[in-house]
Parts: sequence; structure tokens; C-alpha cells
Amino acid sequence: MSERGPRRVVVTGLGAVSSAGMGADEFTASIRAGRRTTSPVRSFDTTGFPHVHAGEVHDFEPRRWLRGIDPGQWGRSSQFAASAARLAVEDAGLAADDLARTRAGSVMGTTSGESAVIEELVGAWAADGLKALPPDLVGSAPAGRIAAAVNSELGLPGEALTLATACSASNYALGYAFDMVACGDADYMLAGGADSLNRWAHAGFYRLGALAEEICRPFDTDRSGILTAEGGVALLLEPYERAVARGARIYAEVLGYSVNCDAEHMVHPDPTSIAACIRAAHRSAGVEPEQIDYICAHGTGTRTNDATEVAAVREVFGERIPPISSIKSMIGHTMGAASGFGALICCRALHDGFLPPTAGVRRTDPDLGPGVDPVPGQARLAQPSIVENHGFAFGGNNAITILGRVT
Amino acid sequence: MPRTASALTTEQDEILRAIVIDVLELEPEELTDTSSFVDDHDADSLLAIEILARIEKDLGVAIPQDDLTQMTNLDGVRSVVSRCLKEAADV
Amino acid sequence: MTSAAVAPASVATAPRRTTNPLAVTPLAITAVGAVSAAGIGLEALGRAVVEGAAGYTDPSGIGEESLPPRPVRIVPDLPVAELLGRKGTRHLDRTTKLALVACRLTLDAHPGQTGERSGVVLGTSTGSIRSSSEFSLETLRQERPYLVNPSLFPNTVMNCAAGQIAIRHKLHGVNATIAGGHLSGVQALRYARNALRQGHADRILVGGVEEFCAQSAWGWHLSGSLGTDVPVGEGAAMLMVEQDADASAAGHPVLARVLACETGYGTPGRLADALASVVSTALERCDRRPEQVGAVSYGATGLTGLQRIEERGVRAALGDRVPGRRVAVKEPVGECFSATGILQIAGLIGAWRHTAALAGELALVTAVARDGNVGCAVLEAGHLG
Repeated sequence: MSERGPRRVVVTGLGAVSSAGMGADEFTASIRAGRRTTSPVRSFDTTGFPHVHAGEVHDFEPRRWLRGIDPGQWGRSSQFAASAARLAVEDAGLAADDLARTRAGSVMGTTSGESAVIEELVGAWAADGLKALPPDLVGSAPAGRIAAAVNSELGLPGEALTLATACSASNYALGYAFDMVACGDADYMLAGGADSLNRWAHAGFYRLGALAEEICRPFDTDRSGILTAEGGVALLLEPYERAVARGARIYAEVLGYSVNCDAEHMVHPDPTSIAACIRAAHRSAGVEPEQIDYICAHGTGTRTNDATEVAAVREVFGERIPPISSIKSMIGHTMGAASGFGALICCRALHDGFLPPTAGVRRTDPDLGPGVDPVPGQARLAQPSIVENHGFAFGGNNAITILGRVT
Repeated sequence: MPRTASALTTEQDEILRAIVIDVLELEPEELTDTSSFVDDHDADSLLAIEILARIEKDLGVAIPQDDLTQMTNLDGVRSVVSRCLKEAADV
Repeated sequence: MTSAAVAPASVATAPRRTTNPLAVTPLAITAVGAVSAAGIGLEALGRAVVEGAAGYTDPSGIGEESLPPRPVRIVPDLPVAELLGRKGTRHLDRTTKLALVACRLTLDAHPGQTGERSGVVLGTSTGSIRSSSEFSLETLRQERPYLVNPSLFPNTVMNCAAGQIAIRHKLHGVNATIAGGHLSGVQALRYARNALRQGHADRILVGGVEEFCAQSAWGWHLSGSLGTDVPVGEGAAMLMVEQDADASAAGHPVLARVLACETGYGTPGRLADALASVVSTALERCDRRPEQVGAVSYGATGLTGLQRIEERGVRAALGDRVPGRRVAVKEPVGECFSATGILQIAGLIGAWRHTAALAGELALVTAVARDGNVGCAVLEAGHLG
């Protein structure tokens, strides 16, 4: 049934806009050190919210990073995505003009699209009624602008696709980009995701009892929920042969991926369905469970997610669970960008030789069962060969990517 | 009148009942003092939180999220709300 | 860990079938469902398209916010209770209800099984802008910002409708939401084609949805991006899509085939060229000539500045020839943004059926967006019986 494209696909460029810094180097250094970069929210008024911490990108200056588009005409998520993509192309050592002459495109994931724009519109509505909506803001509201911003910034002539599959969206994007490059539909693809902080999600997660007060502690006995966050991330994918021919630095090979849907409940993940997704991802990559050296967890820090995720992993891996950590412990939950940041750190882990940590773990929750190694504290030196990157979403949307070291 | 409702006025008790009936989409006679929200009325945790949220809003009382575990039927809701109202009054 | 180090390379270098990069496998559309201002069902839409009839125009019942002074097209009497049941629909927003009704109609029309190995690819732009903006407004208006209704929170997430479809019908395959606005239709077809090819599902419901609300009506009105006499509409349409070979093997009647779907991106000032280029590529990929195209459905009709660009791009690609049949879906249903693309296809199939078109007639469905996205699909009429 499955019809894999004939080309091997590798990641040669990484870009990040995050609370942990700009660019893949700053981001990676921050994560390796186990530094927590969440902080009190400044981008919206938090008066009346009992919990006010989030992974905000403070003092983001789009004009410093963007060359092709005028940031004033694009929303915050689009600016994040385009900046991350620009950084990824630079990181890949590609001249943007050369890239624009190829069949290059982008596919970006998001949960809430241009939510900061929508909240500005809501502000105008609350103040003066719907007839007072500022027309230029209306034009910036569609979520599809996120991938469009990437293509506009870089002058890419190929597809510009925005996938709104919530918190697994970047993995969805990475899988699609992989197929497009593998089958020859595209010469290069930028894949990733972007989301902006917003009041409504902060209120919604608080109301659901899923928002931590100050610290997100995945896998810890005392974990109490997520911290909302924002940012943009992009990975540049190209065929292995071309990367080698142009002498590019290859971070990792995309080995395969899988997507499925629990079809059970909008907000409760289902371990059996997640386990099925993990198995399908292994089949797609042609690997066995014992070959997986590390799992970059969805690891939101809610009691339910972490318990369900470990149960699903246990179902597939049995007694030996690979080290499993969550970078959300440091940067919070960047929503549609989350599995993109996971993929980015997986690429660096494979290339640089380390396992990303989980910050803030004081006691690994015994209820998760034996053998759970969340890599507490700081990064651990290691030489992982094949790693697994999890993304689960609202609506029971699961997406898992498998990345491997190219030796 | 159930004993757990002692701290509630008749009006408050009626509001609680109405909220549960509305959120769980029940006919009034389906809801008894001890019928289980989950087992008898197909509630899930999202609906349970909605009940809590509606009570907070309509009765102006803060209910800790941890108390959800006790709010499994109408009597459970009454006892949690009674306690929270009493605690608020004592402060 | 080193033992596994060679595995990816050895796996990846295993011989793979090389394919002609231009060749594409056709997709079979084996069922269609549509809700629009033309009414409930494909037949109502097909008739309205052929007769050029205006759809239902009364927006009372949409909400309390005042509406801008302009024509509208509304879905009358959405049969929620009849088609979706009475319980568990209280918190569903209009976007999700429209999508669920279109889905129900499509599944009822589909001759085969669904379930386990079925997926959903649904087009949107912002999700329900009414739901997210009303939820956001509550955080400003309540005494405390978190005194929101938690059961409405799922409606603010863009993949809500796709998730609800999967839950209601136990569809465990790929579940993608495409935020493509006017490009949603073509992009959703492309996404579904790849997902079927990769085995993420055996059959996929490919759809688009847009609800009418005061928020978006004012948005269209104030932005000036829609001609002043063009009605703002709403609707949802869904196609059951399978690999052509699978549909044949299962004996499913094929209403139409998607022979190609291509997308591209043009810089400002080059949109018509970009569209002409994707149309030419699409025809090339399915080995058809411009003069074989018998019908066109334009997506940008009524959009300020874009309508002419789209028509110019199509004319350039078809060698200055205008096909005989023009499928104008916006007259009956209005401007339906993210639902437009799939409604264009549903309207085309409905019109083909209404006029008993011959199998093999070729049609072009195009889309252009202001930001630079362009796309088209090439469809071939099947046995519409």
C-alpha cells in the first residue's frame, strides 16, 4: 500500500525563535544546560489570572531577522515562522537567491494561527463594536499566512501549506515535507511550526485545571500542568545526494513518520492509539523498538499526558524504555511549534552527541512505573543513532517522526 | 432535604440542580441525589469541569480544582459547595 | 547504541521503485455531500449552479450582533437533530455542525465501509472565528478572565471539526486540518493524495467548511477584499476520496476523478503567471491538452483584484480559449472562503449530474489568494448515473 519516494531525505538547516534564544545554536545551548526560560507574561494583561507564567519570546525584533517581508503586514506567528525559516536557510549555508530558483516550498504547523492578531481584533470589537475592526488586521488573521510568510520572505515558488492539526502540527508538517522531497515533488522543503501566546488559551487551560503555576515538571511526582508558550521553528529538508554533493552539514536523516487519530475524545489521549502510532512510525522508518535510543516526549507536564504517554511507550517497548525527556520543562508548550522544537533538538542530539534533559524533575513519579529515565537536570553526553519525536494533539491527533544519525 | 445541603439555601440548591441538569443534558427526573455523573449520565472530565466553572460563576464561590474528585454526584457537589461557601464566609 | 548506527543507512539505501516524477495516480471521488445556501445535499447545489439561482438569503437566527449592509447567503434549517442526534451537540459551534452534517451526507451516499482505516482532511482558515473571538471576549468581559466555559474551549482550536468527525464516525486514519482559506480545497486534495499514497488511510473525507458569522461578515465588508455586491456565504462540502485502483477493485461507482492537483506561489505582480504555470503543469502531469478542458470553475470570482488575475492566468494556460461551461458556484452559495474550493468541486459534480454530462468531460478548478498561493485541480467526469 505504502509507496515511499525514492530519495533519502536529510535535515541540513535549523532555525528557532524561542524563549530559549534565536537560532539553533542559542536554543541548543540553553536546552543542554537545562535552563528554564519561562517567565511572567508581558504580551497580554494578566490581571486576574492566578497563574501568569509562560514561555514568551520577549523583545522579539522581527526587523532584525526578516529581509523579504515587511513585518508590519504580518501577524506575530507569521513573523516567527518567517524568521525561523530565514535562520534555517542561513544555517544550511544556502544562498537565498539560489534556493528561490528551485522547486522549494514550506509546510508549517500551528494550533491557534494568528491568535495575537485575533485578540487585537477582539480588543477593537470590545471597545467600539465589530464595525470598528481595523481592516489591515483582518487581512492578517488567516492562519494560512504562516506558511505564506515563509514563502514570501524567501521568495519560494513552491507549495506554501499551513497545517492546523494543533499540538502535533509540526510533526505533521515534517512528515509531509519528507514525502514531498522523497518523491521528488519538491527540491527543498522548510518544515516547522509557529504559535503566539494568547489570553484565550491561557484562560482555557487554566479553566481546565491544566496550567501550572510557575514550573512545568514533566514526569515529576508533583507535576501540575503545562505552561503555555510561543515561538517559531523551521527545519530545512533536502535530498541526501544533493546535501552530500554541495558539502552541506547533515544533522540527521528523516527515516519515517506516522500519523493517526484516537477518535475517542477531544481532550483525553488514548494509550492504545498512541502505541499504534509509535509502531506504525517504526514500520515506516524500518526500525525495531530496540533500535530507538531516545524519545523526545510530548511530555506536557499534565498528570494525564505523561501517564498516558509512558503507558503507550511501555506497550511498545516493554521492559526497556529508552531515555525519554521533555523540553517543555524549559520552554513551555509552544503548541503547534512544539514537535518542531522537538525535531530540532533531536537533530542536534544526533549530530552533536547528547540526550536533551528534562528540567525540574525532583522525583520521577513512581506511578509511571519502573525504568523511566527522564534525563533529569542537564543534557547527558551520548551518541544516539536513532531517535523518536512525539507530538500529540487536541482531537486525538498523534504524529510521530523518526530521525537517524547519518554516519 | 439531604443532610449535606444544610449550608445551602433552597435557592442555591435549586441552582446547583439546574446547572447539573443543563450541563449533562438531562431530563429533571433523571437526576437523583446519588446518581453518578459518569456512570449514569455519561459525563466526562470536561463536563465535570464545566459544572464546577458554572457554579463558580453563578454562585460567586471559588472551588479548588482538586475538589472535582468529590463532585461525582449531586450530593458530592452539595457538600463541596457547602464547604467552600462556609470557608469563604469564615475568612 | 552503536549497533544501530548503520541501520538507517541500510534501510534507506534499500532499492526503491523509481517513478516518473510527472506521473500521478488519479483519485476517485466516490461520494459527495454538501450543505450551502442552495440547500441540503448535492442535488440542491447542482440544480442551483445550473439554474444560476440565488440561495437562501435570510441571516436572522445567526446571532445578535448587527450585520454589515450587504447581501448574504445562509444555510437554511441545518438538520442537526435529524442527522446528528439530540445529545452531545449543545456545545458544537456552527463550523463543526456544518462539517458534521456534510460528513453525514457523504457517508450516507458512500457505497462502501468507513471506520478504522478512514481519514479526514478538512480545510479551514482560522477555525470558527466566532468561537475563538467570543471565547477571547469572555476573558475581557468576565469578572475574572478565567471564568470562561471550559466546554467551549475545544471550539477555539482549529482542528475541532476534524476531531469531532473522527470521534463520531470512529475514523482512526490521518486527521489533518488545512488552513488554506481559498486554497484549502486544492491543498486538501494534494494532502489527501499523498496520505493515501503513503498508506495513512484507505479512504479520506476531503472537505472544506466556513460558517457565516457577524465577525467574518464585518471582516469581509471592512477589508474591501470582496466586491460590494458579492454576498458573504457559508457552507460545507465533503468528498469521499480513494485511490482510483482501490475504488475500482471495491466496485465503487466513481462520480469523478481528480487527475491532478498542483499548487505554487507567486510574488505580487506575478500571480497570473504563477497560476498559468500550475495549470500547465497539472495538465501535463495527467497527460491532457488545454483544448480538452470543457469546463472551468473559478475560485476568486468576486474577490477584488483577484478575479481578473485568475481569469487571465487560466486563459494564458489554455491558449486564449475559454471553455464552454463555466461553473459559477458563488451565485447560489456566496463567498464561502475555506469551503469555496470543495464547494466548487461539489458544484461541478452536481452540475454534471444535473445535466447528465458524459463521462470523460474534463474540468479545471482554480484558486488564487492575495498572499501568493495559487492552485488548481483537474477533474474528469465519471459515471454520474
